[in-house]
Amino acid sequence: MSTRWYPIYQRGNPQLRVFLPNFWMKLVRPTEEQPANVVTFAVSTEMTKHDVKNYLEKIYKLPVVTVRTRIALGETKRDITYGYVTKKDDVKYAYVTMPKTEAFTFPDIFVNKAEQQEKEEKSLDESKAGFRKFLDRNKKRPGTPGWYSI
Amino acid sequence: MSSTLIKCFNVAKTVSVVAFKSLLTTPRSQLPAWSQAAVGSLQKCGVHTTAPVRHERLMEFFDDPKHWSENEVKVGRAWRPDELRIKSNKELHQLWYILLKERNMLLTMEHECDDKMEIFPNPERIDKVKISMENLETVVRERNRAYHLLETGETGERPQKQMHNAFGLRCTYKSCEHVLPPFMNTKWIKSRNLGYGGRAVHKFLLKYREKLYNVKRKAKNRSRNEVMMILRRNPHFDIELLKRKYSDVDIEKLRRTDKARGHFVPKVDG
Repeated sequence: MSTRWYPIYQRGNPQLRVFLPNFWMKLVRPTEEQPANVVTFAVSTEMTKHDVKNYLEKIYKLPVVTVRTRIALGETKRDITYGYVTKKDDVKYAYVTMPKTEAFTFPDIFVNKAEQQEKEEKSLDESKAGFRKFLDRNKKRPGTPGWYSI
Repeated sequence: MSSTLIKCFNVAKTVSVVAFKSLLTTPRSQLPAWSQAAVGSLQKCGVHTTAPVRHERLMEFFDDPKHWSENEVKVGRAWRPDELRIKSNKELHQLWYILLKERNMLLTMEHECDDKMEIFPNPERIDKVKISMENLETVVRERNRAYHLLETGETGERPQKQMHNAFGLRCTYKSCEHVLPPFMNTKWIKSRNLGYGGRAVHKFLLKYREKLYNVKRKAKNRSRNEVMMILRRNPHFDIELLKRKYSDVDIEKLRRTDKARGHFVPKVDG
């Protein structure tokens, strides 16, 4: 289903026809260790277990055995200065069990991050050194344009 | 909204049915094929190893691995309504699912980046997808309205009407369907306490209206004073410009007031 408004009855079957579902689903890293065939999702709070199952089976073509859901209470926080309370949104988590033959571990996305950062820093240092060289070269001839000598 | 969508798709029934089948239904014959593939992949990497197992279909929730450690991901702009209007119902239907998957992917990546205290590259991608989806929905809605107006003379939208709520303020009431017709449902209609009354509500309305009136009155006085000060400082100011800017002020009348006159002796004709 979706968050839209549905008629009680319409002619023809099936009664419930959804053409443009607008629910969202996030695949999240499980906080507790889970079996290999259990995947954790954060989903729209309106979604039911059946919605989650249909969503994954029909849109992502994923074989689903069972779905368990819970709603996590959003954190409340009191403002230090003024004392008012703010609350984060509640989130529904769905624990989706796939057949035993399936397995999934959450990938480590930032494995190459340090390497990439090192590379970028290196290129930045290089350009800094180049500019310093340019300044040194033009120190004794102020006012000469940069393209004057090779 | 859904009924409207449904009926829109009824226009091109054959097209929509094909699209619906291809996108929403899972052919039974495919199910064993996945599991076999999965078993094959498991045998290769082994179940009990700690090496990350990449599930082919679940990886749709993640960005392309080559974007994983990038600081910038270059993408295009959102779909515009005019571009969507020239698409067929089938194409729109397919595009919706592409956008839906894209949004889920971006939300997943954003969540993971937040979790790991990393910067999510180009967060405006989410907004672009959201705008595209909104535009797509408006286009579908337009088509639906046109179809309904042509076939039934009504828009086919959810009926709405202006009503007073319990505080005596105007609000739009969105009608919904009921199992019982209104003449049988009198008890429930009475229980809703539509309309307003009572001393407290009248007192509130009196003060509320006074507040609204004060806002209006002060705005009027403010613009009047502004015009007078402009005229006082600049006696030869462009009157047409003033009239255009302060359309609610009677400038001809204000010119003759004492306050609008500067510190000079007025020129007397004749």
